[in-house]
Parts: sequence; C-alpha cells; structure tokens
Amino acid sequence: MKRSRIRGLLAVLAVFALLAGACSSRDDSSGDGGDDTEAGGDNEDGGGGASSIDTEDCGSDPTVPIEGDTIKLVSSYPQSGLTGAFAEIARGWAAYFDKVNAEGGVEIDGKSYQIEFEDADDEYNPQQTAANIEELVGADGGDAFAVFSVVGTANNINIRDFLGELCVPNVFAATGSVAWGNPEYPWLIGSTLSPYTLEAQAFATYLEDNQPDAKVAMLRQSDEFGATYEEGFRRAIEGTDIELVAVEAYPVGSDEVSSQMTTLAGSGADAFFNGGTLLACPSALTAKQTEGWDATTWVSGTCISKTLMGIAGAAGDDVLSMTNLKDPQNPEYGDDPDMQAFFETVEEHRSEFKGRELDLDNAIIAYGYTQAELFVQALQDAEAPTRLAVMEAIRNIDGYEASLAHEGVTFTTGPDDAFMGESFVLVQYDAAAGHFSEIGDLIKLEGQTADLTPEELITA
Amino acid sequence: MDLFIRYVLNGVGNGAVYASVALALVLIFRTTGLLNLAQGEMALFSTYFAWKLTSLGLSVFVAIPLTVVASMVGGAVIERVLIRPVHGPDKSPLNVLIVMLGMFLALNALAQLVFSDDAEPMPKPWASVSSPGDPTGADRIVELLGVRFSWSVIGLVVALLAECALLYVLFQRTKVGLKLRAVASNGASARLVGINSSAMLMLGWALAAGLGALAGSLVAADRGSVNPGLMAVVLVYSFAAAALGGFDSPVGAVVGGMIVAIAEALTTGYVKALSTIELVVPFALILLVLVVRPTGLFGKKVVERV
Repeated sequence: MKRSRIRGLLAVLAVFALLAGACSSRDDSSGDGGDDTEAGGDNEDGGGGASSIDTEDCGSDPTVPIEGDTIKLVSSYPQSGLTGAFAEIARGWAAYFDKVNAEGGVEIDGKSYQIEFEDADDEYNPQQTAANIEELVGADGGDAFAVFSVVGTANNINIRDFLGELCVPNVFAATGSVAWGNPEYPWLIGSTLSPYTLEAQAFATYLEDNQPDAKVAMLRQSDEFGATYEEGFRRAIEGTDIELVAVEAYPVGSDEVSSQMTTLAGSGADAFFNGGTLLACPSALTAKQTEGWDATTWVSGTCISKTLMGIAGAAGDDVLSMTNLKDPQNPEYGDDPDMQAFFETVEEHRSEFKGRELDLDNAIIAYGYTQAELFVQALQDAEAPTRLAVMEAIRNIDGYEASLAHEGVTFTTGPDDAFMGESFVLVQYDAAAGHFSEIGDLIKLEGQTADLTPEELITA
Repeated sequence: MDLFIRYVLNGVGNGAVYASVALALVLIFRTTGLLNLAQGEMALFSTYFAWKLTSLGLSVFVAIPLTVVASMVGGAVIERVLIRPVHGPDKSPLNVLIVMLGMFLALNALAQLVFSDDAEPMPKPWASVSSPGDPTGADRIVELLGVRFSWSVIGLVVALLAECALLYVLFQRTKVGLKLRAVASNGASARLVGINSSAMLMLGWALAAGLGALAGSLVAADRGSVNPGLMAVVLVYSFAAAALGGFDSPVGAVVGGMIVAIAEALTTGYVKALSTIELVVPFALILLVLVVRPTGLFGKKVVERV
C-alpha cells in the first residue's frame, strides 16, 4: 500500500511538473536534470592527461582496501511506474553476480570476494535517485564500495557531484550519454551502450553508402539527449551530400507526436532519424505509416526493446538501428552456447525477481548481464581491492570481450577514452519475425567518440 | 493547404477524445456540482481492464462494451461508497476534493498493480490492416479528395457523435433524463416532488464512468497502447475543453474539445517555439476564458437571489 501511494503521489507530481513546464516558457533540458549539477569547473584540470585519477580532494580515502571478503555494490533504477521495465536490466546483472558468487566469487590480487548488492526504486526520478544513492552509500561513503548500473542520464548527472567528491566509483551507468566523457568526473563511467553521437554517425555512414544524396528529417526529444542526436548528426554529415532538411522536437515524456510527424512527412525528406525514446518512438513510426511517408528510417538505440518495437508492429518493419549485443529474441542464436548459458543463468538465479514475470527474450536483461560480466573482468584486473584500483581498471579496459557481444565486438577504454560501446553492428527490424537481424559488417569507431561529438555536449 | 488540413485532422482525432472526457466531466458537474479530478484515472483503470479482456482473447468489439458496462457499475459504486459520505451541502467541499485526489492516486496505482505497469498494445475497434508481428494492426487509410484520413479519426468522431446522440435522447426524450435534469437544476425541489435523487446521482457518475471508459479505450487504440501516463495529459486537455465550453454545457464540452485539440495541433505544426511546450495551449485557453468569460462559451451564468 505504501508503494502504491508513493507511486500515485509521483503521478500527481508528474502532473504538477507538466503544469510547471507549461507555465515557464523553457525549451531547455529539464528532463535531463541540469539543475544543481554545474560543478565549479572553469579550470581544466591541467591538460586532460588523466592517466591517473587525482585523489587529493577526495572525501574518503579511495586507496583503502576492502575490509572482509564482500564487495558491496548499490544501485538505483526504476522498478515501478511507466519506466519500471528498466528493472529488467538488474535482473541480468543480479543473476550474473549470483552465479559468480556461487562459483566462489571474484578474485582480486589473490583473494576471493563475494559480491553483495542492494538497490532502491527511483521511478526514473533524478531527485529520488539522489536520495536513494545518498542513503545507500552513506554520507561518508562508508556503506558501499561502488555504485553500479544506475539508469538514466539525468539520474546519473544528479549523483555525480556527490559521488565524485567522495571518490566513490559510479560505474556502468546505464545510458548512452556523451557526458560520461567529461574529464571533470573521473569517478563516473558509462557502459556498453553506444554514445548517442555514434548512432548519428552510423546512420550517416549508412546513408552515404546507400542513399548518398539523402534528405533527412529528424524527430528528437527537447533535451540534451535530443540535442546530442541533432548536433552529432550535423557533424556526421559535414562534407557529404546528405542534408538535414527538417528537425522537430517533442516535449520530454510526451508520446503524442502526430503533428510533428505531419511536418516531417511534409518536408520532402526521404530518410527519417527517429530520435524518439520510450513511447514517442513507436508513436512516431505509427504516425509515419499513417502519413504514408516512405523514408529510410533509423530508430534510437533506446527504442530497440521488445515492448516498444512490439507496439510499433508492422509500422516498424525494416527500420535500422545498431547494437553490440546479440538479440535473445533472434532464433539465429538459439543454439549459441553463450546464449544458452545466459538463459540458464537468468533462469536459475533470481527467478522471483521483484515479483516480475521472467521474459528471457528481453534484450535488456542481456545488456545487464553483460555489464556484470565486464565489471567482474575489471575487478579481476584491478591491482588491489581498492576503489582507486578498480576505477583505474575500468578506465583502462583493453579489448574485453563479452559472451553476448556480437562477434568481433570488443570493449576498450583508456586515459582519453571513457567510452566502451564504440564497436557495433547495424541491425534491421523484421516485424513479421518480431526481432532485429544484423546487417553489414562490424563497425569499429574505437576511440573516436570524442572527435565525433561537439565538445560542449561532453562537458555539459 | 494540404499540410493545414492534415494538422486539423490530427487535431480532430484528439478533439473527439478530449470532448468525450470533457462530456464526462460536465455530466458529473451538472448533477453534483463537482469537478471530478479522478475522471482520467477512472478511465485509465477501465482502459487497462479492456486491454486485459482483449489479452485474454476477447474481441475488442466485445471487450469495450463490456468494459463500459463494468465501468458504469464501478462509477455508481464510487459515488455511493466514496463520494456520498463526504459530499453534501453541510459538509466542507475540501473533504470531497481530498477523496477525489485520493482516487486519482489510488486508481492509477491500482491499475498498475492489478493489470500492468508497462505499455500494452490495444487492438483497434475500427478498420485496420493486420500483418504478422503486429499486435494491434495499422489504421486503414481512406483517401478523399486527395486528403488521407486514417480510420482512427473516423472511429473517434463516430464514437463521439454516438455519445452525443445517446446523451441527447437520454436527457431530452426520457423520463430518467428529465429526473436527472431536475436533480441537477434543483436537488431539494426534485426530492420534494418524489424524485429519487440519490439514484440519479449514482446514475450521473455511472454515465460519466462509462463515457470515460469508452474514451480511454479509444484513445489507447488510436495511440496503439495503453500506459499508466495515458490519461493524465488527456485530462488536462479535457479540463481546458470543459472550461472553454462551460462546465455545465455538453455542447460546450464538444466544441471546446475540438477547439483545444485543433489549436494544439496547429500550434505544434506552425509555431516551432511552442512545439515542445504544447501544454501552453490549453492553459492559455483556460486563462483567457477565466478572464474574458468565466462561464465558458456555452455556460450559463448562475444568478443567486438574495
């Protein structure tokens, strides 16, 4: 009962937020946090050569080894409400950690540790994320070793100052924001989700190969996330014959985009970048179908979920996107031993996960599983069981492979490269079969995110 | 011009939905003098109920009428059990406001708890093209004089017209309607001439719940899915529609719904700066009406004799 009251309360708050949004004439980034997050940051921290993390001002000592034999991870992500489906990410990583624990734990510097985790529901609300994380980590950072897989861009931005000052690692943030390359936040790093500007680059490259004089129309969310697509795409088509002829924005959280789609369809474009996320994405595809608009279509990597593409149905047929992980829904991988191991692990561990029904085909479980797999590798590579050593290990990943990654996909980070998801394959949706299939060869943009992204987006 | 017509058509589809929910608001306002804050979430609960029925294999043409009937029963029960004990001339209007706010919260949470907290595909009760891998089907398109209409617009407008006709007949041509109007215009006198006013109040809520259920199911079918946030925004637009038309006028609700939705569609289409803050439109309209004509376009002025 308490849960439902809180949930309802949030509904009212959401209404008030809408009201407030309507009254203050802003076209900024409210969905993307943005407030209280500007760090003092005028000074550039000496030439960006951050091969070693500066620990001088740390609120806690990051070189103290773990006491005992458990590594405590905490997380905050939506577990109820409209975005509750994101909880499935945690089903993947929780199952993987359980498996590792059952097999004896993870070894750092010759000693075995069990991985313990605790999480809280934030309903995708960045303020709630901050409250959850502050409680789970403790005011002095003493209650957890690291923060793992917090969902949402604004949500991670809302905790990066707090964790950064304490020097508590916030790792594998579950969002593809380019802001995770900001050198002012060495304790925060993203995950295998590809940075949004790489999606723009991938679509531009696809068009260059197949439709070199394409006229492109774009639907984007009216926040940083949308701006990243737009600016990234503008940069990607510089010097080509591709033209961005129309851009329409929709308010954060809205799913009614029919008028925007009427404008885009009327722009004469023959290619469509659908930067819509959550329900705006399938809505846009359906509206496109209603308009009878024929255009080569790209959908946001955030839209390739079973639920969203399922709602689009036939309207989503043939759309393009990209990923670095195998789609569990694709029967092609039915016999893949790694996929089998994934299914077995998820089935065996935590099958009563938060009262949610298990849907093994859901690709975001595979995503969560992969983050845990990479994290465990990084822990094993860490030179010591300390926050600093673990953070250094994750910031210097050298070509890790993951069992569910597409063939040839590797994950690499380095002193000037905070992005893991820089190799991927293009995929195309087959509505009748209900899954994405790979098309084309592996695309490797390793180490290029910073070059392909306007700097002000990274330091936002 | 072509573009203009398409924007307007986008608006007409939404307008039919806003009008239906606004009609429900007006029905309750006329019989009880209350603005039902929970109208949207009542409709959301009903819509999830309809989705559940279709997911169990029922045809959408059976599921929606069943849902409407069940919702009417639910609406009557809500009036009797939750509203009546806290509402009356001798009770503070704040009590009933808080109960309705509580319903707003509880029904949304309950819908998520009982049915689903995810977006769920809603089949379309109008001509659609189904293909493999498409749970809801795609709207069939008709072309008339070079303009593309989708069947969803036609379906939504036909549903609205049917609602209007039904309400007109009920209120103007039946005894029950006469009693409903009597209770609305003067509850005390109605009771004195032997009208069972409590039954009429329950009927008013039942009708409103039924209208909301229909509107919710149809808007979900139009958008392709039902999700927990579906009706919150619709309710805001419907309030604007009812305020614009006059809270005591069914005709006003329909005209208001259309004006609000078409204004919204045109603003999104033509005024780029406003396309990301589309809720400005209903609020600007509400404000304008409150300042210029507080009773709404079709509302009656209440004159109190002292």
